[in-house]
Amino acid sequence: MNRYFRELSVTAALGLVLLGLAVFAPAFYQPQPLLSLATREAPTLVVMCGMALVIICRQIDISVGSQFSVCSVCAGLLAARGWPLFLVVPASAAIGAVLGSLNGLLIAGLRLPSIVVTLATMVTLRQGLNLVRQGEFVNLPDGVQWFGLSQATGQWVLVAAALLLLVTMGLALRHLAAGRWIYAVGSDTEAARLAGIRPQFVTFLVFVIMGALTGLAATMNLVQSPQIQPLTGAGLELKVIAAVVVGGVAISGGRGNLWGAFAGLLLLACISPALTHLHIEAYWEKAIQGAIILLAVVADGLRQRTGGQR
Amino acid sequence: MSAPTNVEGSAPAEPRPSWSWALQFLLRYETLLLAVLVAEWLLFYHYGTSTNRRGVVVGFGTIDRQFDILRHSCEIGLLALALTPVILTAGIDLSVGSLLGLCAVIFGKLWHDGGLSIPLAAALTLGLGALGGGLNATLITALRLPPLIVTLGTYSLFRGLAEAITHGAVTYTDFPASFLFLGQERWLGLPTQAWLFLLVAVVVWLLVHRTTFGRSFRAIGFSPEGARYAGLPVERRVAFAYVLAGLIAALAALIYTSRLGQAKADAGTGYELFAITAVVLGGTSIFGGRGSVTGTLLGVAAIAVLKNGLACLPVVIRMNAAEEMSGLLTGALLLLALTGSILPKILSTFRGRRQAG
Repeated sequence: MNRYFRELSVTAALGLVLLGLAVFAPAFYQPQPLLSLATREAPTLVVMCGMALVIICRQIDISVGSQFSVCSVCAGLLAARGWPLFLVVPASAAIGAVLGSLNGLLIAGLRLPSIVVTLATMVTLRQGLNLVRQGEFVNLPDGVQWFGLSQATGQWVLVAAALLLLVTMGLALRHLAAGRWIYAVGSDTEAARLAGIRPQFVTFLVFVIMGALTGLAATMNLVQSPQIQPLTGAGLELKVIAAVVVGGVAISGGRGNLWGAFAGLLLLACISPALTHLHIEAYWEKAIQGAIILLAVVADGLRQRTGGQR
Repeated sequence: MSAPTNVEGSAPAEPRPSWSWALQFLLRYETLLLAVLVAEWLLFYHYGTSTNRRGVVVGFGTIDRQFDILRHSCEIGLLALALTPVILTAGIDLSVGSLLGLCAVIFGKLWHDGGLSIPLAAALTLGLGALGGGLNATLITALRLPPLIVTLGTYSLFRGLAEAITHGAVTYTDFPASFLFLGQERWLGLPTQAWLFLLVAVVVWLLVHRTTFGRSFRAIGFSPEGARYAGLPVERRVAFAYVLAGLIAALAALIYTSRLGQAKADAGTGYELFAITAVVLGGTSIFGGRGSVTGTLLGVAAIAVLKNGLACLPVVIRMNAAEEMSGLLTGALLLLALTGSILPKILSTFRGRRQAG
């Protein structure tokens, strides 16, 4: 109980919000809008899984938004050239992995601070994309949207795929040795090295996984619309970092899990529709999001101060 | 060696050659950055063209152009100055750009809807900036929370409040000419806001490099525990750095509003990243403890000249890609500076390995 206090409290907060919605705005619980909401958040969920790994490893990646845009545009161009989707998806993931390995090389190889490296790659990738594409949209051919299925089926497929990935990664992080390596490196790099783990290699891999997942998420976003605009994914990094942190993953590394991060994402994702249903102006969304992040970290801080377990 | 050798075997103090101070100066990071800046400027001076107000083609080297660069780099320059002490203490403040937006909107609202006079509204805005910085400071120092996450939260909060106050749509305009003077006119030959920028630069430089109070920032960034054992009030000093950052962000908001003649919720979006880039490019370590205000100023200048100069290169004009090119090159420059900064460490590691093996 004590050990998972953070995860449980986020889940409780989420439950409260859902309960409040059930009482004050039952219209929130219509299947179709809920499914659409889940579909919209599915790519974010996939990126969030990667970000949780990165933060558990005591690093951070603020370039995911730019990576997402680059992968989206590249995947869109490939699809427009007539590549079948089953090739576009791995190609996009591979492009993401290459971008991620660039971060990984600079951070793990040269031991540069991740926040500055990814700040630089964020700006470079974004502006490079703008330079090449000049803000042009990519029109996708027919048959790409919803994998050529009906919209409802396509939405279910996307949500199911994202959830499957979450469960697989959550279990792997908990039970596989490779998953425990990440915790070990995140909580104490030197101790991990002495225990026979290669911290720099693990860090590198985490960034590659982060990139690959971002590429995958880009294709999940791709199939939702008839065209891709190059700004998709701008600001994504802050959204996923916020979800991960609200979900109880410590920014100082080595603590947290995907289930908590998932609850955090759901909590943040519910704000916008909740505001609509409660007839509050949508402009409050960002402020409330910020307040939730602050509340979550303040709760953490107070608990640590009063001597609770970390 | 004919010099008397030390019996204990420790390295004898070699007589310093007379040019060692010059070499030391040349090898300093700031000098390197200055060289980059001068090279940039000369390049643009040689190749750059632009048309002036009368439609005549002029070069990059006009006084008007230099003032333009100065005018446009004031806000980011101020934010970079604000961030220097914060980063020196091994902290970070992502919220300054959002705070700039919030302050601009509040200033506009106080003057336009509240009916306050400009000086009073400006004073209240500066107070609000300090308050915003104080919120960061309280959370970071009193609760010992990581600055990255706290300021990520306030980044969202401040911007969100600005959007909520203006309903995402209201823009405050029609400021009196006496206020626009601050951002659009010249005073004693320089753009008015440049004087304010210079003043803040001098104050921050004096604070960081010439007072024991300011030197403690670096001590704290280098080793917070060490600073605590040395008797420094670490929490109070760190809190001061964040409050100062908030105050300067509010000042930047006033200048921004005055330069554009309008206040809206998206003022200063993304400025924090440019400011952090300038600080890190200026040689300040993101891990704290090392860096200088001079470096930050050079970093700001390097980015500003790059951005403005690229817009006058015929090639870039033809491609219509000034914004993108400057972003791309700034990012590349940052990566280069980072890699360069750890080069000595890598070399010494290799040397150590060769000697060991």
